[in-house]
Amino acid sequence: MLSKELVAASTVPLVLSVLTQGESYGYELIQRVRELSGNRIEWTEGMLYPVLHWMEDEDLIEAEWREAETGRKRKYYRLRKEGRKALQDEKQQWMSVHETLAKLWNTYPSST
Amino acid sequence: MEHVSQFDLNAALRLWLERLGQSPQVKVENLKELESHVLDSVTQLQTKGLSSEESFLIATHRAGSPAQLEPEFAKVNRSPLNKIIHGLILVVFSVGCWLLWAILHLPNLMRPAPQGRPLPGFTQFMVGCGSYWAVPPLLAAGYCPYVWTRKHGGRSSWMGFFAATIAILFFLILPTLIAILLPMIDFMNQLVSK
Repeated sequence: MLSKELVAASTVPLVLSVLTQGESYGYELIQRVRELSGNRIEWTEGMLYPVLHWMEDEDLIEAEWREAETGRKRKYYRLRKEGRKALQDEKQQWMSVHETLAKLWNTYPSST
Repeated sequence: MEHVSQFDLNAALRLWLERLGQSPQVKVENLKELESHVLDSVTQLQTKGLSSEESFLIATHRAGSPAQLEPEFAKVNRSPLNKIIHGLILVVFSVGCWLLWAILHLPNLMRPAPQGRPLPGFTQFMVGCGSYWAVPPLLAAGYCPYVWTRKHGGRSSWMGFFAATIAILFFLILPTLIAILLPMIDFMNQLVSK
């Protein structure tokens, strides 16, 4: 399980990255990240929404309320141009950390 | 099983949302989104064979307690207090500048008869600059629309604005006091010499 600090720091790049695959809503975003991380990234689910709203305020993403096939209303989030640019910056920063640690450990960080 | 059938999911969800909604920091839209989230989560858990009650308890536990969620929503749902305080500071600052401008007209009232001595040079200069006293409030007013319209309004920036306006007022008060004291001293000297 990842530390709270690392989970918090990775939330924005994770959301941006998932949204590059298409629009999504809160619950689906959480499920997708949980599945991709092999249950190692566990968000306190409700706490994702303030982050999504902050990202909306920053124009990184945009949102729209729509009725789902179940008849339930959901807020769908989409990536904006500014979000794609922010993701490029995030990628560079995370890759820098990754490469530095890989050099220090003389290997690529393994998942075990 | 009898216990399970007595559980009212909608009532339990409404109660959970009501508790969360008691905080002014959580907006109605936030509650609607959390409601949708919990219902999605309950539906998913029920497909795994859990009862509505069990699913609801797990879903709300995963969503987080009001104590966990409120501070997070508070960060993004700031009240308009910061903007209102900026407006109040702007009003006080403008009134302060206007008062200083009005005070600068006092030396003219103390001006002796036309044949008397003219006002000291510094006082004349300050009186001449009187119309420029409108510039600081205009600059401050120009900054306020930025605060009111900026996208990320979560920051509380009124302290900096307050400090800046007080500092400007202080630097305006100082020369104004000197400018009105000089003709007063001059006037007293005239009286003594007579």
